[in-house]
Amino acid sequence: MSPVLVVLAVLVSLLLAPAAHAHVGSPNVFFEGMAGSWPVRVIIRPPGVIPGLAEITVRVKQGAPERIQVQPVQWKAGVKGAPPPDEAKPVPGEKGLWSAQLWMMTASSYSVRVRITGPAGEGLAIVPVVTVRTARLAMQRALGFVLGGLGLFLVVGALTIVGAAVRESVLAPGEEPDVRRRRRARLTVAVTGVFLVLLLLGGKSWWDGVDADYRQTIFQPFHVRTAVVPEGSARVLRLEIDDPRWGRERDWSPLMPDHGKLMHLFLVREPGLDAFAHLHPVPRDQSRNRFEAALPPLPAGRYRVYADVVHESGFTQTLTDAVEIAGPSSTAEASPGPPSDPDDSWRTAAQIPLEAVKSSLGDGLSMTWERGSEPLRANREVELRFVVRDGAGRPAPLEPYMGMPSHAVISRDDGKVFVHLHPVGSFSMAAQQAFAAQDPAARMPGTMAGMDHPPGSTISFPYEFPQPGRYRLWVQVKSGGAVKTGVFDAAVQ
Amino acid sequence: MESLAPTPTPQVAAAVRSRVARTAALPWTLTAMLLGSTSIIVGLLWDISWHMTIGRDTFWTPAHMAVYLGGVLAGVSGGWLALHTTFAGSPEERAAAVRFWGFRAPLGAWVAIWGAIAMLTSAPFDDWWHNAYGLDVKIISPPHMVLAAGMIAIQIGAMLLVLAPGNRAPAGEERLLGTAFLYVAGVVLLMLATVLMEDSYPNDQHGAHFYKASCLVYPVLLAAVARASRLRWAATKTALFYTALQLAMLWVLPLFPAQPKLAPINLPLDHMAAPLFPLLLVVPALAIDLIVQSAGRRSRWWLAPALAAVFLALFLPLQWNASKLLLSPAAQNAVFGGDRHWDYSRAPGDWMTQYWVKNREPLTPRAAGVAFLLAAASAQVGLGWGAWMARVRR
Repeated sequence: MSPVLVVLAVLVSLLLAPAAHAHVGSPNVFFEGMAGSWPVRVIIRPPGVIPGLAEITVRVKQGAPERIQVQPVQWKAGVKGAPPPDEAKPVPGEKGLWSAQLWMMTASSYSVRVRITGPAGEGLAIVPVVTVRTARLAMQRALGFVLGGLGLFLVVGALTIVGAAVRESVLAPGEEPDVRRRRRARLTVAVTGVFLVLLLLGGKSWWDGVDADYRQTIFQPFHVRTAVVPEGSARVLRLEIDDPRWGRERDWSPLMPDHGKLMHLFLVREPGLDAFAHLHPVPRDQSRNRFEAALPPLPAGRYRVYADVVHESGFTQTLTDAVEIAGPSSTAEASPGPPSDPDDSWRTAAQIPLEAVKSSLGDGLSMTWERGSEPLRANREVELRFVVRDGAGRPAPLEPYMGMPSHAVISRDDGKVFVHLHPVGSFSMAAQQAFAAQDPAARMPGTMAGMDHPPGSTISFPYEFPQPGRYRLWVQVKSGGAVKTGVFDAAVQ
Repeated sequence: MESLAPTPTPQVAAAVRSRVARTAALPWTLTAMLLGSTSIIVGLLWDISWHMTIGRDTFWTPAHMAVYLGGVLAGVSGGWLALHTTFAGSPEERAAAVRFWGFRAPLGAWVAIWGAIAMLTSAPFDDWWHNAYGLDVKIISPPHMVLAAGMIAIQIGAMLLVLAPGNRAPAGEERLLGTAFLYVAGVVLLMLATVLMEDSYPNDQHGAHFYKASCLVYPVLLAAVARASRLRWAATKTALFYTALQLAMLWVLPLFPAQPKLAPINLPLDHMAAPLFPLLLVVPALAIDLIVQSAGRRSRWWLAPALAAVFLALFLPLQWNASKLLLSPAAQNAVFGGDRHWDYSRAPGDWMTQYWVKNREPLTPRAAGVAFLLAAASAQVGLGWGAWMARVRR
């Protein structure tokens, strides 16, 4: 099969299977926070191919920095093994926006140091980035034709040169080749032609080999098996990581808790995304690969499973699966036991009009999406801003929910995009803290960013929708000791 | 294809021979070809050093520009020759040309033009390859092989361009062109050694693979120049040009400060990495010259095996022992460059001064026998190629 067809087949299969590392279909890393006393938003767009170039933009929201340096630090090599930093350059026409390129040479867990220098002093932000191969670039038709045409010209040209060499080059100037010489030239050209064809076939087989090897290295998250099993009068969700890679200590560091949880698991019902759960399974029997959580009273149906985990190296991945949840078969099962984790939450919601900006949270609270009148566009930086109000329209006080003012989960209707966001961004706080602990120059404020003071009633998330389509957003806050989930639908162009 | 002018008479053909040979200096087209040939090999070794030291590059680095400048010089001078000979050539010039799709030019010009087009084709192919499979991790990839074919073709084109007038020159006037031919052959030898570089570290030189690869690759060129050149000690001079060029790069590159710009850095370099110390090909080349010259430049059935035998008999003990020196503390300096050919990603350790023999084929008598057979085949092909080159006159 020609490489072009292989590429098309791979692309089609990649479209069908989510190409994921952390989150699904949303590889960019968003970081919103402080670098010293500089408020910044950093966006890192990892390349789909490793070794490759990542694009990094740093938006300084206040002040005029003089210099911004960026530096990728691989977790094993550390700061000592990192290259000298690169200088970011201001983007012409956009105040406060700087950009640079990062050379990511291995598929690994990196922390990117962003150092800002200026009148307000020096500040450092640390942004974790996971680099994995996610895709294989197709060759554009135009390029394929040009290369094919040039290749044909070179082959025919080579044969002509060989013919000319045999026929004429050994003759004295002015002599004409005789019949015997012409015949020998034709024979040599024929033999060379066969040789060139064999060479090209060998080259194609080589290319196919490289291609197959590359496609094997495209990252697939660990394979998991999920099931719902009855336990007494309640039901329990069981997840087992049965991927053969997980046993290899050398290659994979153990999982570490993020906000105190080893796993954040989300259930989203197909196809309407009308039931949602956010659970925190715990390991069973001190096992490394078997996790369990009490199942909330979700309606029956087929659910997509997304489980976010973080390794000690800072490497994050989203494990995906699908599970059937049957309806309760007896009244006993209709009243399930308490959740296995007090931070578990769930919500059902039917289809919501696309223009709706207000979501009722129960207990008189409502959440309003301050989205402005501009339509949402794919690949455009956007701030998703929400305000929680009480029945009287006053801003309602919020409590930290697992250390964050809020958690947002965004999924495209077909599941090809799934991301779990915080106001500080899309990265793993646990990974960032791990890197900051190793980094001699980082002086993080003692708590995770965002936990310094109680959250206000306005929350905003930095994001960029990676693809057009219909999306559902769940925005979770904690108020009055209970988790509230606002639900919104959006169309992205 | 129909020729575009009447073919010249034998008297005119004779005039061509004398006129070219009598020029004291080389025509500008030949000078441009030689410059292009040099620019390519300098750029190639510079680029390898760049990747070993700095690690990353864009398209527009000086090393890349040197390589493409070489391609441009060769393509432009070959192209000029073709257009000039076809449309404005004198009868002598047209007589000393071969035909290609209705155009006329010396054979070397066509080969050089082909090489330049191959180099140009490799650029967008390589760019796509990096975006599809990742930035360069290996020297040897399909687009790089297209580039290598183009670069070697330019060298061969340059060889043929000086060979043809050199072969037509009357006796006693072949010195300048003959030496130019051996210079380009030296550049080709250096290119072959560069392709084999990853298998030719001193640490590889107690294993079978290095000798098998060397016996396959080097005898063909040495035998060919010994057979084809009108000058004496041709293979030796070729090997001397190779040695001088590689030593020049080995001594000059580390003078320039540079820093790795990629993570992870396990070896903090502060100057450009150097190529390997040249192989001691001069000695087997001398023996090859002796044998070919004593055979009177005629075909003999025993010639190829004899050349293979002396090549292996001299090359093997020489490199076996030279590698000991290169791995010793005495060679860890600027002259021998024993400590200068590592790239930034290698963590320093004892392995740098040890022979790499684990899980590799050892040099057994059987392996040496295979190497001999490879050298004999290589030498046979070289002699055939050399015999043809001795007759090229256009």
